[in-house]
Amino acid sequence: MALIEVEDLSFRYPGTEQLVLDRISVAFAEGERVAVLAANGGGKTTFARWLAGLLPEGILRAERGHVRMHGRSWPDWTAAERAAAVQYVGQVPSQQLSGAAFTVAEEIAFGPSNLALPIPEVRARVAESLAICNLEQLAKRDPFTLSGGEQQRLSIAAALAMRPRILVLDEPTSNLDPASRDAFIEQLAALPAALTVVVCEVALRPCLALAQRFLFLHEGHIIADGAPADVLSHPACVAIFGMTGVARAAADVRERGCWPLGLELPLTLEAGLRSFRTAERALGR
Amino acid sequence: MRSGDNVLSVDGVAFAYPGGSPVLTEVSFGVRSGEVIAIVGRNGAGKSTLLRLLNGLLSPLRGRVTVNGKATSETPVHILARHIGTVFQAPEQQIFNAKVEAEIAFGPRRLGLTGSVLRARVAETLDRIGLAHVAGRHPLDLDAAALRFVALGSVLAMKPPILLLDEPQRGLDALSLERLEAIIVQEAAAGTTVLAVCHDMDFVARRARRVVALAAGEVAADCPTLAFFTDPDLTRKSGVEIPDPLALSQSLDLPPTLTPSAFAASFIAHAGGKRTA
Repeated sequence: MALIEVEDLSFRYPGTEQLVLDRISVAFAEGERVAVLAANGGGKTTFARWLAGLLPEGILRAERGHVRMHGRSWPDWTAAERAAAVQYVGQVPSQQLSGAAFTVAEEIAFGPSNLALPIPEVRARVAESLAICNLEQLAKRDPFTLSGGEQQRLSIAAALAMRPRILVLDEPTSNLDPASRDAFIEQLAALPAALTVVVCEVALRPCLALAQRFLFLHEGHIIADGAPADVLSHPACVAIFGMTGVARAAADVRERGCWPLGLELPLTLEAGLRSFRTAERALGR
Repeated sequence: MRSGDNVLSVDGVAFAYPGGSPVLTEVSFGVRSGEVIAIVGRNGAGKSTLLRLLNGLLSPLRGRVTVNGKATSETPVHILARHIGTVFQAPEQQIFNAKVEAEIAFGPRRLGLTGSVLRARVAETLDRIGLAHVAGRHPLDLDAAALRFVALGSVLAMKPPILLLDEPQRGLDALSLERLEAIIVQEAAAGTTVLAVCHDMDFVARRARRVVALAAGEVAADCPTLAFFTDPDLTRKSGVEIPDPLALSQSLDLPPTLTPSAFAASFIAHAGGKRTA
């Protein structure tokens, strides 16, 4: 059964013609790990914010449709209920800092404290988030003196401390160096299996490591939804999104007629090594 | 290398934020006119701090940074800005005009451009960044990638001889990346010196001629891009991963290649160019 459902959702920003989301319907189950891909300006962030219930306030309303969690549309939730159910981490980590914390640990405690949880519970959550995001060494630092990558990890730690059912991450690894990114992906994979994670990205590598289901959002519509290889081979996806370096290399070899018939284009380095060895053998080397 | 040959020179620079531990302890390198250099290293290695030392927003605690012979610590930032333009990581922090075209016009106007010369400069820049169709829009109504191009345009429009880019490729899809790389290629061809802080090693492999890696407050590597990526000690110390085409070429015992197309050509040559289809 779906945990969260987007039903026939259409949205445009005030004063613009173009629908950013045009009758989108999609559902996510408990524990799903999903990557949402879209071109720059393709509605990724807008979709992420709708999913997290952050847009249907004030003047920004859907032209039609709803997002429902547990069958209840976002405007019917209180802010506190929603914050405990879904957490969104945006692209600019410095903008997510509360400004009310002098240390990293206090920043992580800010959300749970606002839910009026008992202090031992807040402390336990802070310790857990620090560990998951590998921030123990930085716990006493001033959040505003952290590097961009460190702030990104802090934003995610603060979100996790709310123990949400759904975590929506907008380009979560874009500020991370490879070691931090791989560690982060590992930690994300180790999160409670029941947590639903939706990652909106333009970088393929973290998506391939994190998600079993890919969505491709294009001109307001979801034009592909399924296994990573199927979505990534969609022509519009290739045109806008490019290929991984490995897939590009294999495609170049294929374009020049030197790729075995029926051998799929590999997406990752590991798959590439296997495929190029197969191609090598087929070519008699 | 004599510092007189360099447009930019960093000599024995140390830096720490007030009350913090040292970010840079001993950094020295020189940059010649027209070079395209990637600055790489782990999160917190001091890459963005180094950029702020290069453009004079920060002054070294020890050592000296000179831009076209002027010491940054003795030169007002607005004078340095004629020599060096910076595009920061978060474009929303450097954009403040209500229209895209006004944002682009701001820098050249400060340099004294007016009338048709100014208009031509703005139009040319809008065209280069691909945003002529949103010239009258509010920058903050644009998507994040377009906003980054506005920030880039506002700096390009001043035609600085040295261009500093902090993670310019971040969050760009393939089409936007192509545009960014075309701009870097054009700038390099026109003799602009480009230094880019960058985590995307495919981007570094495609566009940088030289890599300066920071680790533990020092320069861990400073060499041509291929030499950098093919030295496992250097890449390990710098905390970077090697581009996939290089990993492929090494695993298959082919000559080292940095880009997918170079790898494909090398693979086909190795396989004798025999066609299978």
